[in-house]
Amino acid sequence: MTLSPRFTLTAGALAVLCLAAVIHILVVLTIPQNVQHSAYDDALTYGPDRQFNLLPDVRPGEEALPGLDPAMKHAICRFQLSAGPVFFDAGIPASFWSIGVFNQAGETVYSLNNRTAGADRLSMLLITSEQLSILRQNPPANLEDLIVIETETISGIALLRAYVSHPTQAETIENAMSIASCDVLG
Amino acid sequence: MKQQTMRHASGHVESGWHKEVLPRAIRPERPHPLRTLVFLTSIIILSALIGVSSAYILIEREEPLDSISVGAWKAYPTAGTPEADPYSVAIYTRGGYIPLASGEGLSLTARTDSSGQALDPACSYRIAGRTPTARLWTLTAVDGHGRLQQTMPGRNHLDSQNLLRRGDGSFEITASAQIKSGNWLPLPTNPAPGSGLRFVLRLYDAPVTTGAALDGVSVPDIDRISCP
Repeated sequence: MTLSPRFTLTAGALAVLCLAAVIHILVVLTIPQNVQHSAYDDALTYGPDRQFNLLPDVRPGEEALPGLDPAMKHAICRFQLSAGPVFFDAGIPASFWSIGVFNQAGETVYSLNNRTAGADRLSMLLITSEQLSILRQNPPANLEDLIVIETETISGIALLRAYVSHPTQAETIENAMSIASCDVLG
Repeated sequence: MKQQTMRHASGHVESGWHKEVLPRAIRPERPHPLRTLVFLTSIIILSALIGVSSAYILIEREEPLDSISVGAWKAYPTAGTPEADPYSVAIYTRGGYIPLASGEGLSLTARTDSSGQALDPACSYRIAGRTPTARLWTLTAVDGHGRLQQTMPGRNHLDSQNLLRRGDGSFEITASAQIKSGNWLPLPTNPAPGSGLRFVLRLYDAPVTTGAALDGVSVPDIDRISCP
């Protein structure tokens, strides 16, 4: 059997389009699995896990992570819930601060700012469902005052942002951020 | 022997009435293996080229599909959340971006001025009006890939707490590489050709963190003042 050249060309063009669409979708979907460095990996360069590490000031050419606000001071903490629930504690003397918790894929798990925190001090507990049921059998005294976040996220990063309205504040805010806790409860 | 020659002869006679040149549609053309191979290979190569380059262009533009436009500004409320579309997932993971989460604030990006013309770091712009309600906002000038560039005073941003305002609370900002009086947002002094320009307006602790709330809010207009 033989096909007319016009039919062959049309079929070829259709095949190109369909195959191109499939390849396009495959490329877009596999990019997240093939990135060389994620924000989670990059965070390791600024200090050890399970503590807030101050990021350098956001300046042209020396941005610690892409897309940070130059008006803010940032501190980043890498945590793993496999070692136990992680307790975040910070008292930052800034007119605005916020914390975002992200999983390893960079998706938001939880976020709040100093108004929604309901207190001047950040006290937040990130915990898995199993750990929470164990903790409930022998609850610590201050459990009522904590913001408790149940999550499936086993490892991730927390990013603390604080607004520096005037350069004179910078040092006080930096000190408060570097002593902020992001450690296993206990 | 005699019979064989007879058959040969009759065979000649039999095929004799066939026309030498058949109409193309019924011509018994054998598929040429090499031609078929070249044809199939070119289909695969061409579709791979189109598929990969179209994906690259869409990702490299760094514009998530799921966006909400207000004036010249665009917000991507689902980017960096589990509900994000595959393109923003690819863009955010490839760049290693940490998004501004909804409990922190909302980030608005302008790639064009209010007339729809692409922003150019060599030009001067007037950014005037009001922002959606927020406890704090910052305005930053970045290049086409979201990176900060060197400016004359060494700063790339303005914030709502250090801003001159009119009596009615509205403001006017001049974005330019040269020193301006009033609210000056410095632009890069020596922008590389084709480096691009974006304005990023970050609204912190804003009620409009969800996309639906962005309907009808007032955002600053961006007007081109002059170009060299």
